[in-house]
Amino acid sequence: MPYFLRLFALLGCLLTSTASLAVDIPIEEYGFPLHNPFEATIAGTPPELRPSLLENDDIDQKDYSITVRPDREYDLPDNFWAVKKLRYRLAVQPKPAPLIFIIAGTGAHYAAGNMELLKNVFYQGGFHVVQLSSPTSCDVMAGASRYATPGLISEDADDLYRVMQTIKARHPRLAVTEYHLTGYSLGGLHAAFVSHLDETRRAFNFKRVLLLNPPVNLYTSVRNLDMLVQTQVENVTNAATFYESMLSKLTRYFQQKGHIDLNEALLYDFQLSRQRLSNEEMAMLIGATFRFSSADIVFTSDLINRRGLITPPDYPITESTDITRFFRRALLCDFDCYMTEQLIPMWRTRFNGGSLQQMVDAVSLYALQDYLQSSDKIAVMHNADDIILGPGDLGFLRRTFGSRLTVYPLGGHCGNLNYKVNTQAMLHFFHH
Amino acid sequence: MIRLPVRPSPNGLSLALLLSLSLPLAAQTVDDDGFTRPLEHLKFNPGLDQREFEISTLAALAIYDPWEPWNRRVYHFNHRFDEWVFLPVVRGYQSVTPRVVRNGVSNFFSNLDDIGNLFNNVLQLKGQRSMQVTARLLFNTTFGVFGLWDPATRMGLPKLKEDFGQTLGSYGVPHGPYVVLPFLGPSNLRDTGGLVVDFGVESPTNFLNVSEASSQNPEIYLVRAVDARYTTAFRYGQLNSPFEYEKVRYVYTQARELQIAD
Repeated sequence: MPYFLRLFALLGCLLTSTASLAVDIPIEEYGFPLHNPFEATIAGTPPELRPSLLENDDIDQKDYSITVRPDREYDLPDNFWAVKKLRYRLAVQPKPAPLIFIIAGTGAHYAAGNMELLKNVFYQGGFHVVQLSSPTSCDVMAGASRYATPGLISEDADDLYRVMQTIKARHPRLAVTEYHLTGYSLGGLHAAFVSHLDETRRAFNFKRVLLLNPPVNLYTSVRNLDMLVQTQVENVTNAATFYESMLSKLTRYFQQKGHIDLNEALLYDFQLSRQRLSNEEMAMLIGATFRFSSADIVFTSDLINRRGLITPPDYPITESTDITRFFRRALLCDFDCYMTEQLIPMWRTRFNGGSLQQMVDAVSLYALQDYLQSSDKIAVMHNADDIILGPGDLGFLRRTFGSRLTVYPLGGHCGNLNYKVNTQAMLHFFHH
Repeated sequence: MIRLPVRPSPNGLSLALLLSLSLPLAAQTVDDDGFTRPLEHLKFNPGLDQREFEISTLAALAIYDPWEPWNRRVYHFNHRFDEWVFLPVVRGYQSVTPRVVRNGVSNFFSNLDDIGNLFNNVLQLKGQRSMQVTARLLFNTTFGVFGLWDPATRMGLPKLKEDFGQTLGSYGVPHGPYVVLPFLGPSNLRDTGGLVVDFGVESPTNFLNVSEASSQNPEIYLVRAVDARYTTAFRYGQLNSPFEYEKVRYVYTQARELQIAD
């Protein structure tokens, strides 16, 4: 090969490798004020740095319900009456517009805080918006899921895809120019699998897909979250439990303030007071909310499948039944326990599943690496200090997504979703 | 490809304040790929076998609720009523009134509530707060034209809610059994008693003639109920948990303890 050709080849390599570098936002340019990932995760962005939002009255939106699983009407006990049909929220533009589906994070409802925020941002950006509950949330498990054992992400995605098709059929007059997809946290992982499914089923032909703070290795994320309740917190004695110590801090804070004033700035002000929470306490709080999600999943999955681990099969449950005893039992089971006791056995029985490692590979972004690498329409936004990531996960994202990955230096887990810089970047991605 | 100009408009003082006070984690270790390993900054208990979450949560579930079967039924009834009657009415109200009117209605009833707040602040011997509520009443009723506007809050006099349940609590009356009231939602025996007293205080006062007008035109009660629902953010099912009843029970009980303690 002549010398100049070799030089060209070298230059070409250099050029393509620089072109595929991830977009790293330097910390000095970013301007996000919370440098502590736990604070950011709990409190989100301070009000003055959030995007301006529309009032609810200014959004033409409505909740709808669809029957995806008619059998559940008869299968489920009476106290599940509210979730026998699946609900979602649709916000429509007055003129033909692109439509975006948003998938919620672990255990989250379609109308959860982050969902409402994303809806507002995309609605202002000119999209019809459909908000979907997470497949790990009790309403999807009861009303739409075939196995009601969330965690096999490809199966969850399949359930979601049917839901999305049903929704599309439900609104035949809605003028949609093209379809987009996004999801945050676990919903981001779901979005990747839904997009992959769409490549063969072709009901939507998603134009753009954005994954916000998705887990890379689901098992790493699960173990991180389970670990958070193992932090050493001070002031917890035999006399006062963790919640009691949190509440007494809150009481002292309000007494010093002179009155109770619950507003958006409360959390920031609280962290400036003498009662401020330590990292360990904040971690414990975050861990506790995820344990409540796991308790809901453990109870609901066991009940629908009549596994008898929490609720005895055919135990009569009516609207007046005290189910607190089952809540107590379910609370003892964290995500790892759920995987061992329910998810993996189900996977082995129904899908001829194998080892834990095989399962981890199948439910993580690794399973889609080739697709994600080659599909230009998919992008990721993540944070360098996200608590659901483990060592090496960002490296995987960099190798896989290249320039389609944006890494923010701060924000914890989803704490910067409501930062204006981030919401602008999201809209920018879908508009270009 | 999705590179963006990252220029947030720095919001002066408050931002600087936050920047200086939000403590970054000590000594950042940064991986080659940029990951900062946030969990490595936490102190974990060595065996990873503490049961603090379980202990706290199981203790928190122990709330005195002897009428639980009945309460659960009422809870479900309220949920259905909310979904099938209350919220549709609120949506209708929202669609036929402009926001200015709705805010006026909310302010008007909120101003009426200040009579009860004043009464209860006085009963709890909270001098300064009683003055503040009196000032609110005066400003809002005069400058705010019978309470249709709320200039007092903008003048730095925030609303201070006190009801008779809190007054009882501040004198050491225990909360008693948990009760779910039809239409009204979570309560307990003490607060239900308080509710009756607060209602009783309002009618003899007949502030701005509302009580008298209401007894002749019961639709005023209806507007008030609709306004109350309109201003309450809680939606059944939004916690999205099969254990919503337990969670609401805990939050209600603790929130009342906080309100009493302040």
